[in-house]
Amino acid sequence: MLKLQNIKKSYDGTTVLDGISLEIPDGEIVSILGPSGCGKTTLLNMILGITEPDSGSIEFNGKDITDSPMEKRGFNIVFQDYALFPNLNVYQNITYGLKNKPDISSKEELEELIGLLGLKEHLPKKIEQLSGGQKQRVALARTLVMKPKILLLDEPLSALDGVIKESIKNRIKTIAKEFHLTTVIVTHDPEEALTLSDRVLIVNEGRISQYSEPEQIVNAPRNDFVKNFILNQLEIKKNNIFTLFKNQLNIQPGKESLVS
Amino acid sequence: MKHRKEKEIKVIFAGIALIFLTFLAVPMVQLLMKSFTTEGGGLTLQNFQSVFAREDFFEILRNSFGVAGLSAAVTTLLAFFLACTIHYTNIPDWIKTLIKGAAVLPMFLPTITYGFAIIYSFGKQGLLTRLFGKQLFEIYGIRGLLMGYVIYTLPISFMLINNTMGYIDKKYMIVSRVMGDSAFANFKMTVLRPLLGTLAASVIQSFFLSFTDFGIPAAVGGKFKTIASLLYSEMLGSIPNFQNGAVVAVVMLVPSVVSITVLKILEKYQIRYNKISKIELKKNRVRDGLCGGVSILLIVSVLSVFAVIFVIPFVEEWPYRLSFTLDNFRNVFEDPNLFNVYTNSLFVAAATAALGTIAAYGSALVTARSKISQKAKDMIEGIALVTNTIPGMVLGLAFLFLFSGTGLQNTFLLIIICNVVHFFSTPYLMMKSSLGKMNASWETTAMLMGDSWAKTILRIVTPNALSTIIEVFSYYFINAMVTISAVIFIAGARTMVITTKIKELQYYNKFNEVFVLSLLILATNIIGKFAFTKLAGVTEGGAAGQFFKLHIRKNKERSL
Repeated sequence: MLKLQNIKKSYDGTTVLDGISLEIPDGEIVSILGPSGCGKTTLLNMILGITEPDSGSIEFNGKDITDSPMEKRGFNIVFQDYALFPNLNVYQNITYGLKNKPDISSKEELEELIGLLGLKEHLPKKIEQLSGGQKQRVALARTLVMKPKILLLDEPLSALDGVIKESIKNRIKTIAKEFHLTTVIVTHDPEEALTLSDRVLIVNEGRISQYSEPEQIVNAPRNDFVKNFILNQLEIKKNNIFTLFKNQLNIQPGKESLVS
Repeated sequence: MKHRKEKEIKVIFAGIALIFLTFLAVPMVQLLMKSFTTEGGGLTLQNFQSVFAREDFFEILRNSFGVAGLSAAVTTLLAFFLACTIHYTNIPDWIKTLIKGAAVLPMFLPTITYGFAIIYSFGKQGLLTRLFGKQLFEIYGIRGLLMGYVIYTLPISFMLINNTMGYIDKKYMIVSRVMGDSAFANFKMTVLRPLLGTLAASVIQSFFLSFTDFGIPAAVGGKFKTIASLLYSEMLGSIPNFQNGAVVAVVMLVPSVVSITVLKILEKYQIRYNKISKIELKKNRVRDGLCGGVSILLIVSVLSVFAVIFVIPFVEEWPYRLSFTLDNFRNVFEDPNLFNVYTNSLFVAAATAALGTIAAYGSALVTARSKISQKAKDMIEGIALVTNTIPGMVLGLAFLFLFSGTGLQNTFLLIIICNVVHFFSTPYLMMKSSLGKMNASWETTAMLMGDSWAKTILRIVTPNALSTIIEVFSYYFINAMVTISAVIFIAGARTMVITTKIKELQYYNKFNEVFVLSLLILATNIIGKFAFTKLAGVTEGGAAGQFFKLHIRKNKERSL
């Protein structure tokens, strides 16, 4: 369980995070959702360990890790731009960490991971030969090889389009369930957050607007921000889709599932 | 959280700071002080008075400003024309390649060679004089200097303009045309305007180079004195006067500082396009013929000046006995004195390149890939800026003052360090921009995978920066091979390099040897450049990789 207590952070007098407290249970996918500049990336970096809080504490499994350096925490991240190493091929990227810690994953585990992410036929390729979705999967594999205690994903879907987005979404869900892996995702897209995670943390102006399960957010928005900015977007999307599928909905009322 | 302390970066920074403190700050401060003190050490303005009181001093200054300014304007005009031919005509690609290659060729030779090449082309017994049957113009003095400076600065000016022109979004030409602009207005809006900053930069850069160059006036200056030849004669003439030498160096420094400052300010006014798009140029045979023709003429003129280098050393005794011989080469290779200066030059260039690359790489790591304090980063930026403003002769002179009598006097190490400091600016900026473009999260990612800092640099940063590292190495190597200004004061009898040897050979009128040695430099540099370019290309994946990339890109949409 990851526990944040009263986290505060400001840069040059501007408050970015103002008293964030929350608990993330083991094995859950949690999305941090909010408009740009709301402090969500700062929060992610703080969990990872590259940004220091001004005050407050971070606990993991009952241990205070506020002052532990990034490498000691055992968490890992996939950056928005993947940060793959272009001088190495796909296989060398995935096994990068094994050069330093050969025993962290066995050969079988590695193969399973490669299979799970569908990377087998891409292993000898250069990074520049990959599409966006393939890069994302390589970055995921590289990180998972390290068996992180928490997986952090910074805007994992924002650089991908359409169908690929949905496919990566499913893979993230599969992995989190398969490895019982606590996953924290930063995103600015409400649809992404609400369809991907077990819980959503909505942050606005450095404070928590709401932290609950997707259904609850939809059914019981806690304040105007959640209503106007988060749900409103989804409402417009929903209506657009309903308009598009109007005829089909008339024939088979109630079968809204084809939307998802 | 406790940040990684970046100990390694701090060590690198301390090393860089120490080197430039010892070999830049201290010598320069001492040079300044020397110009304001008497031989005994008392503070005085006497030195300045005595230099300014020379009846020819202001004439010399006028000469330098005039001829450097004029050649800067001419060079920029010619370079602009060549670049236009490359980018805005439909002449065949191989001609464009030829123009590009020939325009930068003079870079591979020391400036003092241009001077002698001009003498042997246009002088009374010159190759071209004989071809035309009469001497075209008086070479000693302003015309010779102008010609030398233009040839000297054409490569840098051309590269500058050609490069920026490549980054102009050509689509604006279509916009301008459909808006009904005339051909002239179109040219003005879409070519000239976006290039104004670069053109100004080219003028200033060419001015700076010509103003501070020593090699060309040493060869064809004649009675027309420039500030560089004055500095030389004050220091190594019949009656050396160190105090006055220091004053002349300071006088030389002022316009250099001003021009580089203006250059810095101009950088801010560069127009940047979001996207570069190529368009199909309008068919226009007249334009193509005219531009292509004139450009080829220009290129031929430049090359013809250098033709003598390939002729003189291969004949028995120019211009009297013209039968082919390899004796001159044999003599050079058999004369241990002469051949030694070649190996000296090679050694100095290679060592400069190695040390310089390390210095530039280390500095760029500090500024582009660390979280060290802004003050430290500003300091390195400052060092790069200062090295850019100090003329080679001035730096060499400062070294002469500071290190005479120390163990460093007359050593290769001193020459090597002088070169590293003198040429530091460009390699550093190349390195910084290359490292800065790399993904900012690599170090974090690699560390999460268990790498130490040094390991990350070795496994990730260096392999990805390799092509730039090779380019930097090549830049240092070639410049160290051809420089004369920076080393003329600090090369001793034992540490003679080719360029200073050429200056010495001039006294004895041994021009066969001068040209043989020049050819050696040219050949070495061209081979070096070719090898380095190939090497840098391999690290980028090469042509096959490029083709593969394109092929893959087409297919990748369906792959998920």
